[in-house]
Amino acid sequence: MKPKASAGGPSFWTSFRRVFAFFFFLGGRTGRSRVFFLLGLIPVAIAVMVRIVLAGRTGDVVAVFNEILMVFFVTFDIVILSLFYGTSIVAEETEGRTLPYLITRPLSKTAIFLGKYAAYVTLMFIMVSTSLFLSFFIMNGHRFRDPALYLTFLRYAGALGLGILAYTAFFAFLGTFLKRAILVGLMFGFGWENIIQYFPGSTQKFSLVHYMKSLMPRRPSGGPLSMLLFRLEPTEPAVAVLTLVVIAAAFLALACWLFRTKEYLFEE
Amino acid sequence: MTAVIETKNLSKWYGNVLGLSDVSLEIESGITGLLGPNGAGKSTFMKLVTGQMKPNIGRVSVGGRDVWNNFHLFRRVGFCPEQDAFYEDVTGWEFLTGLLGLYGFPPQEITERAVRALDIVELSKDKDRKIRSYSRGMRQRVKFAQAVAHDPEIIILDEPLSGLDPLGKRRLIRLIRDFQSAGKTIIVSSHVLPEIEAMTSRVIMIHQGKILAQGDIHSIRDLIETYPHMISIRCSDARALAARFVPDKSILKMSFGPEGRSLVVETHQRDAFFSRLQTAVVEGGIEVEEISSPDDNLQAVFDYLVGK
Repeated sequence: MKPKASAGGPSFWTSFRRVFAFFFFLGGRTGRSRVFFLLGLIPVAIAVMVRIVLAGRTGDVVAVFNEILMVFFVTFDIVILSLFYGTSIVAEETEGRTLPYLITRPLSKTAIFLGKYAAYVTLMFIMVSTSLFLSFFIMNGHRFRDPALYLTFLRYAGALGLGILAYTAFFAFLGTFLKRAILVGLMFGFGWENIIQYFPGSTQKFSLVHYMKSLMPRRPSGGPLSMLLFRLEPTEPAVAVLTLVVIAAAFLALACWLFRTKEYLFEE
Repeated sequence: MTAVIETKNLSKWYGNVLGLSDVSLEIESGITGLLGPNGAGKSTFMKLVTGQMKPNIGRVSVGGRDVWNNFHLFRRVGFCPEQDAFYEDVTGWEFLTGLLGLYGFPPQEITERAVRALDIVELSKDKDRKIRSYSRGMRQRVKFAQAVAHDPEIIILDEPLSGLDPLGKRRLIRLIRDFQSAGKTIIVSSHVLPEIEAMTSRVIMIHQGKILAQGDIHSIRDLIETYPHMISIRCSDARALAARFVPDKSILKMSFGPEGRSLVVETHQRDAFFSRLQTAVVEGGIEVEEISSPDDNLQAVFDYLVGK
């Protein structure tokens, strides 16, 4: 039997789905994914410990989640995940010299790039949302019957999801043309992003993390640990969502164009 | 016969380095051997034919259609890369079925094709082992399997025999010939002359990015017969042996190797020389330790062709 295809070959979406399925499977099998999944369990372990130590002090428990665990997710977990998965979309194929297996198949390069991007973003979102779900509901176990709790969780998950989309698109773009994209990415993710977000005024809007923070369900906070809300001059949620989506789309478009036109030579 | 693959004035360079220069070829169905030393341009040629690179000048077409940015053509092409590179965390089975999935075959057919391909390369028993645990020979074979599993019309094999033991080489050569019998167009590259000779007599010789010769290998060898053959004989008494050949008019030149332990002879009549050598050795009671032909290798052939 011949593969299902139109006369001109498979459509973009068909190719995209095939690549997505291939890399979703491959991505889940790597040692890197296991390590990052374990890393995501850190907030869960902290949540369990906090619940034990602060048993009965519900207000403190919620504050710990907002001011410590979310800092872990927003400024560390999704940055490191997006950095390693994003830059690897092209780099692992060129450094591992497996690119010919993909680009000699009847698939457009755009479908290859976007299919792999979508597979890795999905994997990351599963890792982050699992960790977020467990830590959030362990910390807020006393409010299970409050419907607002679930909306708050969805808002956190949505903000982190959008952050993953935007960060991964940016790092994927770096990976298409830089040989040492991970170094540049580290400087961006843990240098620029960490510093600029605490600048007052509009300067902080030059960081991706600002838009993620603007989407967080806010609560009054002034404690010494309120790192996420410190000096935050939030952007309107709708604008923040739009900005993250546009940034993701722009860097993906650039990365696709580069991947389509660039020739990758393997170092012997 | 109609050309399946055609290149016209194909040229490619990497910065200032020439990869391929003005290559115009027509490749028909059957096996075509691409011969050349390392760095000659064989892999560049194959990457251009499989659309991995864009030519700087000229064009390459498969079935009359340009290859570059025409990924629909790749359904008809199977490519086995030179480099020993894999997705190491998966099993041989997962590797093959995953790549077959990229063609959009239904699940049942993916299974059937993967079973068939693994059977062909005799890896069925090891299909559930991770690729990282495979030996070099097994890795070569699974790489070959992924190139043929989708039953392409055109199979392009970049140094497929490298790293294989003699038995593995024989098996793979037999397999490649079976694909030829099935009417496929196969391009196979190697820098080892006997490997290509075992598969086909139709060769393209490439050197420094240029085509030196193409056609039937025997015709090319006949061409080389115009150059004298060099024969080295390491023996117990090289000077005594040389004395016996002095009157022989077919000998063009004689010299002694290091420490006088070997005699190096240049002749146009190699077969006649060997028969005389037998007589001389027996009559002179000379003990021969080794006979070799320093110029009977691909490098020497290339040296002749480039006029070194």
